[in-house]
Amino acid sequence: MSAPGRTSGGDAPMSGQRARILARTSAALGGRERVPHPGDFTGPRPPDARGSDRLRSFEEALVAAGGEVVRFASVEEARRWLADFAAAFETISVGATVPASLRPSRPAAMPRAAGLGVSIARAAVAETGSLVLDARDGRRTQLLPPTHLVWIRAFDVHATLRDALLDLWGDLPSAVGFHSGPSKSADIGQILVRGVHGPGRLIAGLIVEDDGPRAAPSTP
Amino acid sequence: MSAPRPGGYRAAAREVLRDRPEVRTSVLAATHTFDEHRRASWEEIDADAWRDWMRDVKSHVLTHLDVYLETAEARLEANGVRVHWAETAGDALAALGAVAEAHGVRRAVKAKSMLSEELGVNAFLEERGVLVRETDLGEYIIQLLGEPPSHIVGPAIHRSVDDCRHLFGEKLGTAPGASPEDLAAAARAALREDFLSADLGISGANFLVAETGTVALIENEGNIRLSTSMPRVHVALVGIEKLIPRLEDLSAFLQLTARAATGQAIGTYVSLIQGPRRQGEPDGPEEVHVILVDNGRTRLLADERAWEALRCVRCGACLNTCPVYRQTGGHPYGWAYSGPIGAVLAPGLLGLEEAMPLPFASSLCGACAEVCPVRIPLPELLVYWRERAVEAGLVPAAERFGMKAYAAVATKPRVFGAAAALLRHVPWELGGRALPVLGSWTAQRTAPPAAPRTFRSIWREGIE
Amino acid sequence: MRPCSACCPKYRAPDVRVALFATCLGDAFFADACADTVRLLRRLGVDVEFPEGQTCCGQPAFNAGHASAARRMARHTLEVFAGADWVVLPSGSCAGMLRAVFPELLAGEDHERALDLAERTFELAQFLVQVMGVDRLGAGLAGTRVAYHHGCHALRELGVHDEPLALLRGAGAEVVAWEADRECCGFGGLFSVKLPEVSCAMADRKLDTLPEVDLVTSADGGCLMQLSGRAGRRRGRVPAFRHLASVLWEATSA
Repeated sequence: MSAPGRTSGGDAPMSGQRARILARTSAALGGRERVPHPGDFTGPRPPDARGSDRLRSFEEALVAAGGEVVRFASVEEARRWLADFAAAFETISVGATVPASLRPSRPAAMPRAAGLGVSIARAAVAETGSLVLDARDGRRTQLLPPTHLVWIRAFDVHATLRDALLDLWGDLPSAVGFHSGPSKSADIGQILVRGVHGPGRLIAGLIVEDDGPRAAPSTP
Repeated sequence: MSAPRPGGYRAAAREVLRDRPEVRTSVLAATHTFDEHRRASWEEIDADAWRDWMRDVKSHVLTHLDVYLETAEARLEANGVRVHWAETAGDALAALGAVAEAHGVRRAVKAKSMLSEELGVNAFLEERGVLVRETDLGEYIIQLLGEPPSHIVGPAIHRSVDDCRHLFGEKLGTAPGASPEDLAAAARAALREDFLSADLGISGANFLVAETGTVALIENEGNIRLSTSMPRVHVALVGIEKLIPRLEDLSAFLQLTARAATGQAIGTYVSLIQGPRRQGEPDGPEEVHVILVDNGRTRLLADERAWEALRCVRCGACLNTCPVYRQTGGHPYGWAYSGPIGAVLAPGLLGLEEAMPLPFASSLCGACAEVCPVRIPLPELLVYWRERAVEAGLVPAAERFGMKAYAAVATKPRVFGAAAALLRHVPWELGGRALPVLGSWTAQRTAPPAAPRTFRSIWREGIE
Repeated sequence: MRPCSACCPKYRAPDVRVALFATCLGDAFFADACADTVRLLRRLGVDVEFPEGQTCCGQPAFNAGHASAARRMARHTLEVFAGADWVVLPSGSCAGMLRAVFPELLAGEDHERALDLAERTFELAQFLVQVMGVDRLGAGLAGTRVAYHHGCHALRELGVHDEPLALLRGAGAEVVAWEADRECCGFGGLFSVKLPEVSCAMADRKLDTLPEVDLVTSADGGCLMQLSGRAGRRRGRVPAFRHLASVLWEATSA
């Protein structure tokens, strides 16, 4: 892992650039009126976000974007479903922080080769239908296999994106990905196609069991 | 992208309209779809309050930009990111080149970045023997075609499915009757190899959060997540205007930008990148670099009126609604940014003379101002740049003198009235030779029928 | 800048005196429409005067970046209409110039006078509906299929949209849905001759989507010149293009 460092420090041309850019920025602002930050955003939300059933909102938003949601009343139920579901895939890749109880017993392969990727979401967002994926679980598993199953606990579903961001604050890994549906593109003649380049199929396994603290990403 | 050529706008527009009418057809359809989706999605949220707030946050950052830049740099470095400062395009390319050389980069994957177009990244790296692969499907298509992007969000909207069939058939060996799904699968397979083998990933940034040093990126395909996760080194090119203050501020920006661009509640993938892979993480780049780019932005910031254009979040909504842009797509504008925002940024970033005639490439209909999520006063800025162009002597002398004469006559009602009466006798159909401006009208339009009498004379005679 | 009907006195005969601003295009190319404007207002009991000192509002100069030329014309216009109770224009773009731009363009005392003028200035349909409270002009358009082109300045600077439609429908016209009715026609003043190819492509976009109608009308002469001019060079059926003022005058004929 690389050490932090200012590339420009001690390197004359670079530090010169930094100083000049900052100086020009200050000079550009001159006597211009400074605009204060308007404070927290409290504007109108889409109707669903205020709904009491954020799980339903989450499901509707994700499904509308082409994702799938399967609900389970317990981890046990999820396990049984998983055994069946994963049987269709020759090989799988599983995220580093997925609990043992939710790991399918199929042959493992590198993410680049696996047909199914299984991850656990750190959180989810109801108003946008997003799954919040943490780099600590492993990015390649989240991106390379064509089918992506993501476990999410109901407890971890936030109502709003703002809530989710506030929750991330202070515990940010190298990267967080918000995945809100299967990969899609309309670049070929404005016709929608899926699976270029991320997973073409995204399934959220929503475990509605309500007890237990939020699982930290490093808990196996 | 080669050197900017806004000066060729009129000729390029004429050419594409005359010789490639299918471009207009494709662009009209695609932009109509984007705009319709935007409109429907804004109705869900009653967008006015969102737009006011985003305008104010952006104006706040821009009027405190020096402070935010230092805050962001400190945060980025604390996260293990290497920060570079680039005054010019050349400096940015030099920094990028140094990173590429230090790591013996032979192959790079690139996420869509308008800034990288502005800087000319691809040509620069290719000259140095680096194979650069565009990974956004639209950018990939135009890279294979050897064309620049036509639109901020959909680079290939000027191309049809059939164009893609021919192209992929030729370059990827797809079957002549391939479906869009087959074509997509072929692109996916081809680019998969690049993601797995590239030494370097290059991206832009939609936003840079000063508080946490987060580079935020929005997309639908996943190629940005892949380009910034797979290779050993990631370089993010970030225009200094991209800053926003706090992580939570991202919430409104991510959502409204997506809604403005395509009508989606949020982009399919949002990447929040803090830095290189950390201890315990299974994967991720070993090194992350951020190149903070000025390239004319401080000059634009200094402009008392036009600085507001720096609020732009690159959603493309103004392009989608601009009746001028929609007739031709982006190529005639001759540089990275087209449509209304391109016309307003160009004089600031390229200089007014270089930017001509883009501020005039508009009928001032005002549709753009109605859709800008950060309320950039685009029509006012277009008029402002036009005034500057007139002051700088960049409009034809004949026009300047003509206007002065017209204004003089317009303060003398009798003369004005007599001149109006004389207009009846102007041989419009002979226009071209007599007065070029008339020829410009009559080349494709019939002349307006002059009224048999002016209204002045009708009034004097009395109206029944 | 859109006044609500509540704060503008409704018309009461015979106190309303309107100063007509015919506009430069109106004077030279749409004289009949201006005359119809006078006829229409008089039919409604309005006293119409025509300050002969009027010339041009300065919009073509302003839009093309010639600010000092525009200011000259703006000041002249302020003078000419200084004493008028109401100023009515058969032009959305010129009304927009007076209402939205004059105050921005002029400073000091002139700025105050411009604000004052702006409050008294209306495009014709806007005046009829918002100030005079007119909703039915007659039945003279019964059976007419009309497509209405919303000029950009009337639409976006003045906020005029429903007024002309209400007046047309109120007179029996069928205003047919037109996909591109609010898109710019491509006139844009000097734009039409500085970038004529793109300007004509914009007119084509309007004409390509035009439904089958008897008549195309608009509150702006420039737009009508552009659309009828382009239509005149295209093949196929060409509807009549008439100024809104003349169409509304015709509405009172039955």
